[in-house]
Amino acid sequence: MSISLRGVMQSPVTPLKADFSPDLPTFERLLDFHVRTGATAISWPHHKGESLNLTIAERKAFAEVAVRVVAGRIPVSIHVSALAVEDSMELARHAQRIGADAIIAITPYFWLPTIDAIYDYFVRLGTSIDLPLIAYNSPSYLAGVEFTGDLTRRLIERLPNFIAMKEASFNSEKFLEISRVALALRPDFSMIAGVEFLAPSVPLGGAGSYSSAGAICPNLCTQLFAACIAGESARARELQFKLSRLWVLFRDQYPSSLKGGMVVMGRPVGPTRPPLPTAGKERQAYIATQLAELGILETEPHGW
Amino acid sequence: MQKFQPGLAHAPITPFTSGLQIDFGLFEKVIEFHLRHGAQALALPMHTGESVSLSDAEQRKLVAFTIKAVRGRVPVIAHVSDAGTGIAADRARHAQDAGAAAVVATTPYYWTPPPAMVLEHFAQIGAAVSIPFFVFYTPGELGATKIETDLVLKLLDRLGNFAGVVDASLDWQFMINIVSNAWRVRPDFQLVSGTEYMVSAGAVGATSMFSSLAGVAPARVRQLYDICRTEKYFDARPAQEDLAALRQIVKRAGAGGLKGALRAMGRECGQPRPPLDALSSGGYDKLAAELGALAVLRAEPRGW
Repeated sequence: MSISLRGVMQSPVTPLKADFSPDLPTFERLLDFHVRTGATAISWPHHKGESLNLTIAERKAFAEVAVRVVAGRIPVSIHVSALAVEDSMELARHAQRIGADAIIAITPYFWLPTIDAIYDYFVRLGTSIDLPLIAYNSPSYLAGVEFTGDLTRRLIERLPNFIAMKEASFNSEKFLEISRVALALRPDFSMIAGVEFLAPSVPLGGAGSYSSAGAICPNLCTQLFAACIAGESARARELQFKLSRLWVLFRDQYPSSLKGGMVVMGRPVGPTRPPLPTAGKERQAYIATQLAELGILETEPHGW
Repeated sequence: MQKFQPGLAHAPITPFTSGLQIDFGLFEKVIEFHLRHGAQALALPMHTGESVSLSDAEQRKLVAFTIKAVRGRVPVIAHVSDAGTGIAADRARHAQDAGAAAVVATTPYYWTPPPAMVLEHFAQIGAAVSIPFFVFYTPGELGATKIETDLVLKLLDRLGNFAGVVDASLDWQFMINIVSNAWRVRPDFQLVSGTEYMVSAGAVGATSMFSSLAGVAPARVRQLYDICRTEKYFDARPAQEDLAALRQIVKRAGAGGLKGALRAMGRECGQPRPPLDALSSGGYDKLAAELGALAVLRAEPRGW
């Protein structure tokens, strides 16, 4: 059951046809692109993959493609968070049935659950499957609902398959409250920054990150992680600044700007489902100027 | 002219007598303690020095008293924040006249002015002095008013003495945005870590640090700072985790926690002024027990 999560892991966007229906053939190409360009794991569908705008049946169909196409080359995690907890439970069982390597889940949406309710949810989810479980902490998007050090400790003590945390507070205090508890209790626990904030997290025991910009600039992602683990502080800072500028660019209307950027990079993946906007020609042109300014067009792969 | 850098600036508490007046006799001992235990500068009265509970006259007197007592051994940075721009600017002028090396100010208390007026607030305070001016960002305490990159760039344009930002947001994206953009305009712009969370801040460019915990654990604080200044951030992780643990214990004890921790270290400094809650005897016993269990404090000085 053990998998290693380290380096820059990719959470692909979800390709859609012009009529917003699933584009599974393009998803296959995208998965293959990520594996070929240095992803150390695949995790789908994060919010960047429009998880909450897909039906449960669509999520299952895409998940099956992910497992089949990646074919054991790197680990595949399935994000099972849904508005209804019962749907999350079903997606977790499905992930196990199709041969995924792990599941990932955020604290429950909308209801502002108590710490004990979050604990019960993860225990129920984690004991319902034999797969490794990755928890996902995102306080700023969930009205402050978040993991504390103490909740992390209780879950590690209760769940042998709780192996990692996607930590998306991007805050020194919050990251450390979780990391110092988790790494003391379970030294091989993976603290994974939600996007490529590697310079501030790797020295604190961070194992790597998921990625916002990996479909745009996989080389930059790999270089930043390498600089961080080598302790090359000045170079890490320089690359971090670049990736952070891209995060500012893509975070605006996430993930539609990212999909717009993929058009610029010759890897179109279609529109973004409402209520999120789709990046139009004007937005794409702006993104193109930014990518040019950052030198991305010359240093990163174009096309599939 | 050599550029002023705070380095490791200790942020002392303000001791009060049982009659709730500033205890200047004891404060002199506090200052001497900080100077003997690693302070490269003093920053006061910060929020941990209960600045907001001091009258304007008291704040001026405290700053002037400190500068006199320090006798030039280290630079003194005066915190001059207020709700009203004119009040803060006058206090800044006074600090400069008294011999302060720099001034620092937050976004206005209570009001949530539009961005143009936040800029005006800082511009007027900064323009009131010719010594270096630092902006202190502490959104956890001051909620609604945000500091954006645009404000920092406009302020750089207006103020030749705008030296940097003291960050207590602990927000990686904020720090990166500010410093990466400011460095393009003013390469000697400084990012100062406003708390002991120095590893992540240093990794993205912070070169100085303000520390209130230096009153409790000055040796470990100095170690953390010194290692970070060599940019060996992996080596700094144990000290960072120790100080994060200490900070959480002090924080859990509430408003009287810092003074309670000083008492536990044999440096009785009384209770905070109302409306902050004094630490109850039960609260103190719990705090002292938790601090007693912290191995890192065994190597720290007891008493004065």
